[in-house]
Amino acid sequence: MRYLMTTKGGDEPDEALYAEMAKFIEEMTASGVLLATGGLAPTGVVIRSAGDEITVTDGPFTEAKEAVAGFALVEVRSQEEAIELGRRFRRIVGDGESVLQQVFGP
Amino acid sequence: MTSSAGSASAAASGGGASDAAGAVGAVWRGESARIIGALMRMVRDVGLAEELAQDALVAALQQWPGTGVPDNPGAWLMTVAKRRAADHLRRAAVEERAQDSIGRDLSTTAPIEAHSDDELRLMFLSCHPVLASRARVALTLQVVGGLTTAEIARALLSTEARVARRCATAKRTLAEAGVPFELPGREELAGRLSAVLEVIYLIFNEGYSATSGDDLLRPALTLEALRLGRLLATLMPQEPEVHGLVALMEIQESRAAARTGPAGEPVPLAEQNRGRWDPLLIRRGFTAMLRARELGGPPGPYLLQAAIAVTHAQARTAEATDWVGIAALYDALVRLLPTPVVQLNRAVAVAMARGPEEGLAIADTVADDPRLIDYHLLPAVRGDLLARCGRPAEARREFERAAALTANAAQSAFLLQRAGSLEDGAAGGLLLGASVEAFLGRAELSGGTLWAYRQTWHRLRRILGERAEVRELTPQQVARAFAIAWDACAAATWNRHLAAVRSFAESASAPHLAAALNRRAPAPDPDRRAPAPFPAAAAQRTSPPLAGRNRKARRRGRTPAMAPAEVSDLLQQPNHPLRERTLWTLLHESGAGAAAALALDLDDLDLDDRQALSGITWRSRTARLLPELIGERTRGPLFLAERRPGPGRPRQPGDVCPDTGRGRLSYERAEYLFKQATGLTLRQLV
Repeated sequence: MRYLMTTKGGDEPDEALYAEMAKFIEEMTASGVLLATGGLAPTGVVIRSAGDEITVTDGPFTEAKEAVAGFALVEVRSQEEAIELGRRFRRIVGDGESVLQQVFGP
Repeated sequence: MTSSAGSASAAASGGGASDAAGAVGAVWRGESARIIGALMRMVRDVGLAEELAQDALVAALQQWPGTGVPDNPGAWLMTVAKRRAADHLRRAAVEERAQDSIGRDLSTTAPIEAHSDDELRLMFLSCHPVLASRARVALTLQVVGGLTTAEIARALLSTEARVARRCATAKRTLAEAGVPFELPGREELAGRLSAVLEVIYLIFNEGYSATSGDDLLRPALTLEALRLGRLLATLMPQEPEVHGLVALMEIQESRAAARTGPAGEPVPLAEQNRGRWDPLLIRRGFTAMLRARELGGPPGPYLLQAAIAVTHAQARTAEATDWVGIAALYDALVRLLPTPVVQLNRAVAVAMARGPEEGLAIADTVADDPRLIDYHLLPAVRGDLLARCGRPAEARREFERAAALTANAAQSAFLLQRAGSLEDGAAGGLLLGASVEAFLGRAELSGGTLWAYRQTWHRLRRILGERAEVRELTPQQVARAFAIAWDACAAATWNRHLAAVRSFAESASAPHLAAALNRRAPAPDPDRRAPAPFPAAAAQRTSPPLAGRNRKARRRGRTPAMAPAEVSDLLQQPNHPLRERTLWTLLHESGAGAAAALALDLDDLDLDDRQALSGITWRSRTARLLPELIGERTRGPLFLAERRPGPGRPRQPGDVCPDTGRGRLSYERAEYLFKQATGLTLRQLV
């Protein structure tokens, strides 16, 4: 089963965190768990539909700490395994929060 | 989230002991191979290493719910496991010293650091050629995949006890064979690596070919295989075939959602909804294939199969498939894997790329292959190619043959429908099927002869086709079909079938049909010093040349054995009762004596491992029949008589089925029934 883990922005990463993170990502890729990962720009474009009308605006303008800053798509055997990976990730990045959601499809 | 309860780490997952247990399991699966590998360096015995690692797991299950999950759970497990191993070595050293009073330096048990090769060594160990392939699969899932025996049992549709026993036997075998915990040397690397790849692909296919996916608890074997493959690709990045296998699996897995329809029926590649293919896995497959290509060297069989899969994946529609490219890949693959099935696939690709005539020419090269004799796709492919070549009458015959060979009703209906859509070129002529029936229906044929003739023609009709026109058959066609069926048989068998052909040819006023066939002189049998006392009923039969299975028959009083082709015909005839078919198939597959087979009780049987307590083992056909025969019964004799024993014939309690009251099938009765069917004795069935 697949899980998408999204992480909200936290403190600016330093050198040591980068190194540790790279090692973690390498290990997860090697064991075949991590399928895709990436960081997200702090702002984007919002597309809204209401009735027949679709509006496109810049945004969303949320606080840096509230915006989703990165994601990881993992393939695991169980929710526990996904949680365990999230735990290891949080230990590396320090204070903040991540959200895990199971992915269905395609 | 209830952050006030429990430790910080427990709170992260909602709090409570069950979460800690879940975390133990998750950590274990990720770390077990590394831990077992590190312990292997200390204790040099995979059974012991696994046991000590399990001890650490148990310790975690006991402690983590109270203390919370440690900061670095993998390191925690590793430390505890190594401590257990050191304790074990110390105890063993003390015992040894007590026994032979020779001092031993305890410092040799100093902890050994985990090594990056450990997982790789473990893979080579669990896929070692001294193990049977089923044992390799179970052991790899256990020690490398970190699955519990219960999970493996669910995945392989077996029971926990059996999986545990299979793993234990495998570990013992490795220990007894003294297999070292080392990477293979340069000279044996290629062979050993291909064994590892084979196990991973076996695990993948075990999951991929399973069509019933409704058991949510069943761990996805395809996922396990993918993970093993991806791990191996990181550990051996210089091996193109490893990346080739990963690419093949990623792309096959990308079609998982599209390959079955709403009712669970398989959907062929050309008809799959490509929108349901997983683009992420396709991309991963591409990447793995490119990596393999960059490494250079001649492409191996996995890389070629991956390239074929990639070419299919690149086509946006089935019509846009690059058949020229695929045909070229098959040309290369068939040189590495010259199997008839690969050749047949190549015929399909070549027909798409270069026209049906060329495809048909390739399909015809395997048309005589005895390995494809019951393979319905051969006539189905030929039928399709013949139809496209504008030869409807032959195509129709091929579709009808294919329909007769497939066990799948939907497939059979589809093939018959295709056959029906083609014009019948044979109208008016005398068809082989009908004229053989007329021949066999003649009153002068007696029981034994009729059975023998029917057997000969049952097989020839399947090869030549029911709707072949007798008038148009050539002696060469008959001779070719005859050779496909019986070329490997002993002279006496050959001659007996020849007699059946000649008799038909005479009766059909077409004596030329047997013209290209000659009698064979019997080869002297080195085992038989004196003439064997042939039973009258089998006067024409003799043992086929030294096939392994016949050793037993020769040892037992030199009874001439049935020829393999005869046995296989007998077992394929569905008109015999289930009990008889099961008994005969069991005797044939196990080589066991009839008395031993009849003595079997349900309690003795291990259906998953295909063996009985008495040491009798069987293969797939028996394994398919047994559950049907057993039905709801759980105890008593396996083979039951038709009725209850009469009052005048008391039986031992062990010889009566406690549920139905029916007695055990007697040897005499079994012998009688076999004789009725074949004219032979049970001892001749091997």
